[in-house]
Amino acid sequence: MRFLAIAVAAAVLIALPLVTTGYVVYLANLLLTFTVLCLGMHIVIGETGQFSLAHAAFYGIGIYAAGIAGTTFGTPFPVSILIGGLAASAIGFVIGMVALRMRDIYLALATFAFGEAMQWVFLNWNAVTGGPNGLRIAPARLFGLELVTDKDAYPFVVATAIAMLVLTVIVARARLGRSFRAVRESEIAAQAMGVPVRRTKVVAFGISAFFAGIAGGMFTLFSTYIHPDSLGFQTTILVLTMVVVGGLGSIGGAVGGAIAFGLISELLRQAPSFQEIAYGAILIVFMMYAPKGLFAFLADRFRGARHA
Amino acid sequence: MTVTKSTVLAAGLAAALLGTGPAAAQQEPGLTPTSIKIGMFAPLSGANMAYGFDVANAAKMYYDKINKEGGIHGRKIEVVLEDDRCNANDLVAAVKKLVEQDQVFILNGGSCSAAVVAAKEYVVRNKVPLVMLNASGDGALYPPTDYIFGAFSISQYAVGGAMIDFAAKTLGAKKIAYVNHDDAYGAWNLEGAKADAEASKVDLAVESVNPTINDVTAPFLKLRAANPDALLIVTYARPAALMIKKAAEMGFNKPIILSVTGTANLSQLMQNVGGPDALKNFYFQDVLADLPGGPKIKWVYDMYKQSYPDLAAKPDHPQAYMPYGIPSAMSIVKALQAAGPNPTREKVLDAMKTLNFDSGVMAGPVVFGPSERAANKATIFIKFDGTNQTLQPGVYSSRWKFKG
Repeated sequence: MRFLAIAVAAAVLIALPLVTTGYVVYLANLLLTFTVLCLGMHIVIGETGQFSLAHAAFYGIGIYAAGIAGTTFGTPFPVSILIGGLAASAIGFVIGMVALRMRDIYLALATFAFGEAMQWVFLNWNAVTGGPNGLRIAPARLFGLELVTDKDAYPFVVATAIAMLVLTVIVARARLGRSFRAVRESEIAAQAMGVPVRRTKVVAFGISAFFAGIAGGMFTLFSTYIHPDSLGFQTTILVLTMVVVGGLGSIGGAVGGAIAFGLISELLRQAPSFQEIAYGAILIVFMMYAPKGLFAFLADRFRGARHA
Repeated sequence: MTVTKSTVLAAGLAAALLGTGPAAAQQEPGLTPTSIKIGMFAPLSGANMAYGFDVANAAKMYYDKINKEGGIHGRKIEVVLEDDRCNANDLVAAVKKLVEQDQVFILNGGSCSAAVVAAKEYVVRNKVPLVMLNASGDGALYPPTDYIFGAFSISQYAVGGAMIDFAAKTLGAKKIAYVNHDDAYGAWNLEGAKADAEASKVDLAVESVNPTINDVTAPFLKLRAANPDALLIVTYARPAALMIKKAAEMGFNKPIILSVTGTANLSQLMQNVGGPDALKNFYFQDVLADLPGGPKIKWVYDMYKQSYPDLAAKPDHPQAYMPYGIPSAMSIVKALQAAGPNPTREKVLDAMKTLNFDSGVMAGPVVFGPSERAANKATIFIKFDGTNQTLQPGVYSSRWKFKG
C-alpha cells in the first residue's frame, strides 16, 4: 500500500509540469514549500510536544536571508537556501534556549511574541528587508541557469521537499527522534531514561527553525517578492491548521495536511461566498470526527474495511 | 498490456502538451473575433472584502453596459473574476490562473496595495497589461513600467500630500499631528505629506501605528503633547475609529481629518467612535467628484441598483468604494477602442499611456503619460457630523513628484 502511494505521488510529481499550466505548477511549488514548513512544525510540536508559534518568523528569516544572499551577493541558489536554513536555525537555537524556562501556554505566548517582534523587524529594518515596501528577490541562479518561471523552479522545489522529507524520516527513526517523543510524553520519564531533556528541546527548536528557513529558501526559487504582511501570525496558524488537520505527530499527517488543506484553500477561492463557512465547517468536522487528523482517520477506516 | 499503457500515457501527455500551448497558435491570448477576455481579481471574501467586492461589481456593470451598446469593435467583453483575498500568495495564484489557464487578454484587478505589488515581476516578465482596480499600488507604479497602471482611487503619495494641503490651506493649520500605518501605505503617504508640509511650511508630528493596534492612548498623548492645530488620521477604519474615540474622550477639540483609506463604512465608524459627539469637528477625505450619491455621480449608484437589485437592497451596499471601479473599467474600454479593430496587448498599452479623460466619477481626471502610471491625484473634503455631509469647496492634491 505504501509503495503504491509513493508510486502514485511520484507519477503525479513527474507528470505535473508536463500536463498542467504554470498556475498549477505555482500552486504545487507553494504547497511543497508549505509541506516543508509543516514538517518543521511537526518536529517541534508533533514530535517534541513544544508549543511553538513562531514558525512564520523562521520562514521569514529564511526568505530574507536566502533572498538577500542570492540578490545582493549572487550566491547560487543551493547555497542561498542553505543560508536561509542556517540563519533561521541559529535563531531557532537561541529561542530554544529561552524556551527551556517555559512550557505549555507560556511557551506558546513567548514564541508568539517572538513571531510578532520578528514581523516588526521585517517591517522596520528598511535597509535590509525593504521594510514596508517589501523586498524584490532576483530570480534564483545556478551556474548561469536562471529560474524564471514556476516550471523552471519546480524540479528544484520538488528535490528540496523530498530531501527534507527524507531528513524528517531519518530524524524520526534515529535516537534523536526517540528522544523527541520521550520528551513529548514525559520530561521526567525521559530524564530518568537518560535523555538530555534540555539539549533535546533546544535541538528540536533548532531543527524545526532550520526546516522553516529551508522552506523560506524554497520560496525564493519561484517568487520574486516578499512583503512582511505575508509573514504574520496568520501564516503560523495556517501551518498549524495544516498539521492538525493532517494529523499531529505523524509525518504523513504533516505532508498530507499541507497538501489537502492547501488544495481545499485554493478550491474554496472559487467559492468566495461560502469559504469562511466552509473553512469553519471543515475544522469543526475534523475536531469532532477525526481529532487525530485526516490520515489517521483514513487509515482507521481502511483497516476497518479490511478486517470486515 | 505494458505497451498499451505506455502508448496511452504518451498520447495523453502529448495531448496535454498540445492543450497547454494555445498561445502559440493564437497571436493574442483572450481575443476572438467576437470576444475579449478580461481577467479580474479582487478581495471577494474575508475581512478585506469591503475594499474590493463592490469595486469589482462596478467595473463588471460598466463592461455589461458596453456589451449592451455593442461591445468594442464588435467584440463583447467576457469577464473572468477571481478572489485574491487581499493576500499576496492568493493574488499571485489568481493572476497566474487568469493568465496561464484562462488565457485572458488583459488584467483588471487589485484592491490591496501590498498584495498587488507581489504580481509586478510576473506581469512585467510576461508582458501582460495590468490595470488595477482601486489599489493605490504605488510600489508597482513607481518606478513606472510599460505594463502596470493604477491608483484609480488615488496614489498614496497624493493622499498624504492632499491631507496636508487641505489642513494648511483651508483650516490654516501650522502644526499638524499625523497618524499613519507602519506599513507600505504609511511610508508612501508620509513621503507625500512631508513634501507638502515642507512646501506649506508646516510642522509635522508623526506617529506610525500598526494597523491592528488595540490601544491608541500612547500615540494620541504624544501627538496631543505637540499641541497641533489639526489631527490627520491616515489609517484604515479600525485604528481611525480608536483614535477619534480617544480624542473625544480626552477633550481634543481641534479639527480631525480622516483620509479616504479609513472611510469604508461611515455609519459603522460613527458607531465605533461612540456616536456623533466625537464628530463635532470632523472632516473626511474622498476621491469622488461629488458627495457619495450626489447629483454628479448619481448615475453610478442608479446603475448599481439596476445591475444588482438584490445587493442594493442589503444594508451597507453599495460599499463606499464601489464607484472606484468605474474609471478603471473606463480606461480599459477607452484603450481597447483606441487600439482599433485588431488590438494587440502592445497597442492597448500604447493607448493606455496617452489616456487623459474625465471619468465624471472621480475628483480629478485620469491622466497617464510616458512615465506616469498613477491615474488620480485629486481629492475632495467633506465635513461630517454623523448625519449630514457637507462638501468643502476646492480640490486638493499633493506637490510630491517621483524623482526616479
